Amino acid sequence: MGIPYVPVLGLAGTDLLARRDDMKLLPDPFHPERQTVVAQALRPDVALFHGLRADRAGNVCFGYESDNVLLAEASRTVIVTVEEVVDTLPPEDRAGTFMPGILVDAVVEVRYGAHPAGAPGAYPHDDEHLTWYAEQARSDEAFAEYLRQTVFDLPDHAAYVARFVPEGWGQRGQLRLQAAGD
Amino acid sequence: MAASWNEAELMAVLLSREVRDGEISACGALSMIPAAGLLLAQATHAPNAELIILSSPFMPFRTSRQFHYLAQRGDLGLFFVSGVQIDRHGNYNLHVLGDPDRPKVRFPGGYGGGMIYYAARRTVVFRTEHTPRSLVERVDFISAAGHTPPEVLRHGHPSKVVTPMATLRFDLEAGLLRLESVHPPHTVAEVAERTGFDLGDVSAVGPTPAPTDEELATLRGPVRARMIETGTYADWAEATLGAGLAA
Repeated sequence: MGIPYVPVLGLAGTDLLARRDDMKLLPDPFHPERQTVVAQALRPDVALFHGLRADRAGNVCFGYESDNVLLAEASRTVIVTVEEVVDTLPPEDRAGTFMPGILVDAVVEVRYGAHPAGAPGAYPHDDEHLTWYAEQARSDEAFAEYLRQTVFDLPDHAAYVARFVPEGWGQRGQLRLQAAGD
Repeated sequence: MAASWNEAELMAVLLSREVRDGEISACGALSMIPAAGLLLAQATHAPNAELIILSSPFMPFRTSRQFHYLAQRGDLGLFFVSGVQIDRHGNYNLHVLGDPDRPKVRFPGGYGGGMIYYAARRTVVFRTEHTPRSLVERVDFISAAGHTPPEVLRHGHPSKVVTPMATLRFDLEAGLLRLESVHPPHTVAEVAERTGFDLGDVSAVGPTPAPTDEELATLRGPVRARMIETGTYADWAEATLGAGLAA
């Protein structure tokens, strides 16, 4: 990615197409008798990811397959938080999506950085917290209260973990993480 | 004669009949009835159908990009999608109700259906509510268009709309939905009254063939068991298939 635009079969005649100026219906340059939509490529200034583990060269493993790398390729600056930084990624970490360090500008070690979402390979979604989040998100007032408790009133991430991440969360994943990091 | 099946079972059976053997057929997330229909087809007339049920173990891909390109290539034979509104031109809306700039309600659909409606060879829209607010003259927002000019590249078109009362067929030449059949005990007059657009000439419309004993037994037995075992809408399958009969 990072290419000028992307052709897409579909979307013709929709109000989505009618209401946006970043997608157009155009003749196919190779077959001018047929038309497809082309979508202007996104070029984000900054993309943020949370991976499982990274090494000192900025290589990141995610522990599951995803389309993350497409977004990293398209973005001017890429920042990745990970559960753990190691000197060199062990070969088994090449499983799942691998983001080469050459695409990555900064890596930050943030244990439990995905909570209350999950980090596959380390810990699952925290359903109890997500249920609370969903309830709080129903009104602006309740959501402001959620943000106050989980973000604004806390000095740092360690305080968030102490307050909101259940004791021993993702214990099995944690063991695997340490074993692989040895 | 009172029906001895519930609405979800009836719709699952009707959707299963749209699946062709040897084709790739798929449904999206939060699609319990089509998921049951796909598995029923595979257990009955379409043993070689390849099934894709997003967000379930019946998902051969690890990322959505891979599914996107399967559809773009034209390899998807059949897709089941739901729409909040469907109109007489086969347009469907899974985006907003009311003025798009000040929507009364916002729904999740945006891009996905707007691509697959053109890419799948056939799309069957299912809707569990058959009322003038769901089957409308003109959708509030076109998420996917039933008909496009001939120069627009597309692999396929809407095929049918299935509701608890009737099946409508998309007339490609006219670009209009026509009433194909009515599910007994509902009547053509009742369907016409509950549809928000003119159904045109309905003199030749007959009853929908009822679910057969084999279809119902397979749905309530092996299909239900498979959904529970594989964690494919297990709670829904347990509570719905074989449970409670329509009034």
